[in-house]
Amino acid sequence: MKTIRLLFAFALLGILAAPLHAAPKKKAGLNLFCWSEYVPQEVIDGFTKETGIKVNVENYASNEEMLAKLLAGGAKYDLIQPSEYTIEALAKADKLEELNLANIPNIKNLAPEFTKMPHDPDGKYSVPWMAGSVGIVVNTAKVKTPVKGYKDVFDGSHKKRIVVLNDNREIVSWALSFLDHSVNDITPETLEKVKPVLKEWLPQVKVYDSDSPKTALLNGDVDLGIVWSGEAAILFKKNKKFQYVLPSEHAHRFIDSLAIPKGAANKENAEKFINYILKPEVSVKISEAFPYTNPNAEARKLLSKAQLENPASYPPGDPKLETFNDIGKLAKDIDKLVTDLKGK
Amino acid sequence: MALINWLCGGWTALIFAFLYLPILLLIVYSFNATDFGVSWAGFTFDWYKKLWSNAPLIEALKNSLIIASITTVLSVFLGTSGAWLLHRYRFPLLKTVGTLIFVPMVIPEIIMGVSLLIFFTVISAPLNNWLAHFSEAEFGLGYATVIIAHTTFCFPFVLVAVQARLAGVDPFLEEAALDLGAPPLKAFFLVMVPYLLPAIVSGGLMAFTLSMDEYIVTIFTTGPESQTLTIKIFGMAKKGLDPSLNAISTVFVLATAALVVLAEMVRKINR
Amino acid sequence: MIATTPVASEAPSNQRRPGFLGWLLMAPMLLWLVAFVVVPTAILFVYSFCQRDELGQVVYQFSWENYRRIFIDSDTGQFGTVYWTISLRSVIYAALTTGVCLLFGYPVAWFIGRAPERRRNLLLTLVMIPFWTSFLVRTYAWITILSTEGLLNSFLQYTHLISEPFEMLYTPGAVVLGLIYNYLPFLILPVYGSVEKLDNTLIEASFDLGAGPLRTFQRVILPLTWPGIVAGILLVFIPAIGMFGITQLMGGGIQPTIGEVIQNQFLQARDAPFGAALGMTLVVLFIVVFWFTSRRQRIA
Repeated sequence: MKTIRLLFAFALLGILAAPLHAAPKKKAGLNLFCWSEYVPQEVIDGFTKETGIKVNVENYASNEEMLAKLLAGGAKYDLIQPSEYTIEALAKADKLEELNLANIPNIKNLAPEFTKMPHDPDGKYSVPWMAGSVGIVVNTAKVKTPVKGYKDVFDGSHKKRIVVLNDNREIVSWALSFLDHSVNDITPETLEKVKPVLKEWLPQVKVYDSDSPKTALLNGDVDLGIVWSGEAAILFKKNKKFQYVLPSEHAHRFIDSLAIPKGAANKENAEKFINYILKPEVSVKISEAFPYTNPNAEARKLLSKAQLENPASYPPGDPKLETFNDIGKLAKDIDKLVTDLKGK
Repeated sequence: MALINWLCGGWTALIFAFLYLPILLLIVYSFNATDFGVSWAGFTFDWYKKLWSNAPLIEALKNSLIIASITTVLSVFLGTSGAWLLHRYRFPLLKTVGTLIFVPMVIPEIIMGVSLLIFFTVISAPLNNWLAHFSEAEFGLGYATVIIAHTTFCFPFVLVAVQARLAGVDPFLEEAALDLGAPPLKAFFLVMVPYLLPAIVSGGLMAFTLSMDEYIVTIFTTGPESQTLTIKIFGMAKKGLDPSLNAISTVFVLATAALVVLAEMVRKINR
Repeated sequence: MIATTPVASEAPSNQRRPGFLGWLLMAPMLLWLVAFVVVPTAILFVYSFCQRDELGQVVYQFSWENYRRIFIDSDTGQFGTVYWTISLRSVIYAALTTGVCLLFGYPVAWFIGRAPERRRNLLLTLVMIPFWTSFLVRTYAWITILSTEGLLNSFLQYTHLISEPFEMLYTPGAVVLGLIYNYLPFLILPVYGSVEKLDNTLIEASFDLGAGPLRTFQRVILPLTWPGIVAGILLVFIPAIGMFGITQLMGGGIQPTIGEVIQNQFLQARDAPFGAALGMTLVVLFIVVFWFTSRRQRIA
């Protein structure tokens, strides 16, 4: 009895005290809102050690989650980590701060092809963090025929042995590439053309997975996959039988970058952080944790041979890569298209 | 009768085997020297060492435990009192309330998360203005908001469990206590609560479990200092669930099992 | 004291209108419901009539468009869209899960409820402990067991029971397995609550009067544990409708569930108003069904 009364009292106290405990006054520091696991802890610790600025980290697992939370306005962040099409959308809606490049001298370390990108032509709002592509992974132990592009993946001989990303826009972009359109050529007309292609493709898919498509490949449940290059790089590191192929049709290159939301309280600290991670020795740490394409030319000089030769991280040749543009309301139509096809 | 009990016992053992099969597996794999795949690559404590030095993960576990515990206490309070009061009194709008209670269960989690986020955002400005008069504290997304969100969808579980126990209860159970001169609140505690205890325990266990595992609602209502274990784990899934997650789950399972055994022993000693 | 088989539609004879104390005690829960259930649902309601803008924010412009899209197929102009098919599928999975959980779980609840008193809480906690591991971690454990090169297949091939690996994962069967696994405790626990208070003398009396076990179950045990069964059914079926993590992980996400579709609206499609409309429809449908079925129950 006493315990129960105590519990009730505790609960009541808890409710009353909660508003007072809810959030301590926003510390001067850095409020980082980033992909889980994308910013290695040692990078954060290193930054705090060097500058004395405390970093509060909050994670999300997709651009859209970040956007939804940012737009609802509940929390104030100093740094976010959007992908290229999200940056374009945010910049258009005037939700990003302009970077004070004087505070980011290390920006000169970036490889030239990563400056002046279509989503941020003047480099005013964002600094690239890591780049990657979406391409085809082939389990060469099981698949003996050559696979060069989407056409080969979906030619019918790999029915139900395929894993693809569970991302409706990606899926539509592959169909567009297959039809020799740009991945950004999204109009009601092109979507109509995409429908029959997807109608043929989707039944051949066994697994839709954006979070960890490598699982199905590693477990032998599928032989082919259209996945993020980071996943492919991890697979290649584990077993060289997993070869990465950039589709001969167009392919999507994504650029994840750092940006500062409008109204950030600690803008200078954010710029200091960006400058810090542009240091080659820090950038290398990021590459070690995540085998994506490092846009930092100086850092690349410090990478190991094995890392540079991973075809998923650094694709050879001169592939046809395109970044995604922001498509605004058309995201709705894409979702409808794919849901319709999947749901029937 | 005895035969039926035996059969049920055997069936229960089977079900327990079913429930624990993946758990045993993940415990075993937490000692596996490779970080992926089915094959066994040798015994190692590496993942536990890695876990030990992974401060954010341990911090996240601590957060999850705090949030889940407070959520459970609040849910039990709201659920039990709600169920009992609905049973005892004929409130107007009884059915409305009875139906409203299920809404958090039906509503898809993302809707709950987003709508609560909007709600918290909307009230935070006026609330902070009011709080500024007498306190340094600031209302923002953090422990309180997550706990509120979790409690909102957990307490219906307690309520339903307790309601089921109340159905068909002897109405004179309480009358008896009141007749013997006990004040109503004491009668409730001395008579009703012991009677309801199994359902309260059931409800509490369910609430705790739901809160520990909740992802989406948490994502939308949390702040940076209240990142929970589940958020961390879901994020790690992208890189590949490395066995340090198995390690932390193992630690948790073994710790709880140890606590339970300890409680048993304490009880035996007390007898 | 003889407890009669409770006729569900009778109000307990001491139920009375609440006095001041009653309302005071009820206040916390009522306030909570209003603040954190009614108000957010109202926000949602408003959203469902709005539209989204380029960035994905909400534009407050009244429109029936979202609801039209749910109910009327844009191609054929007829009633019935893919959202209905998807919802129906979700409901069927939820119903199947509930049925199997009931079958599997009742005997367990029975055993625990009739176990010696000191063991009951222990057994109950043991039921729950597996679920204090993270959902992802234990689902990936199942994936390790069920995958083509996984443990079960390896074991079956090793013992020569099968020659070719059996595809278990990424099938509806795997989804149902995952669902049952994750929802079983939510049936066992409420049913336990009712089983635990069963009076042994009643069962003995039934036997003494010549009824066999089946009859006793039907006439005595079932009605007495019925509230627990109903509670269990509600606590499994209702959440299972909106669930989608399991279909994605163990079913390969091939068949979208209504939970997944709604989630997509808020995330990928950035069309919160449409997601809100779908959510509202789900809630309203539920309220209607629940309202009319609980008329006979008078559970609360």
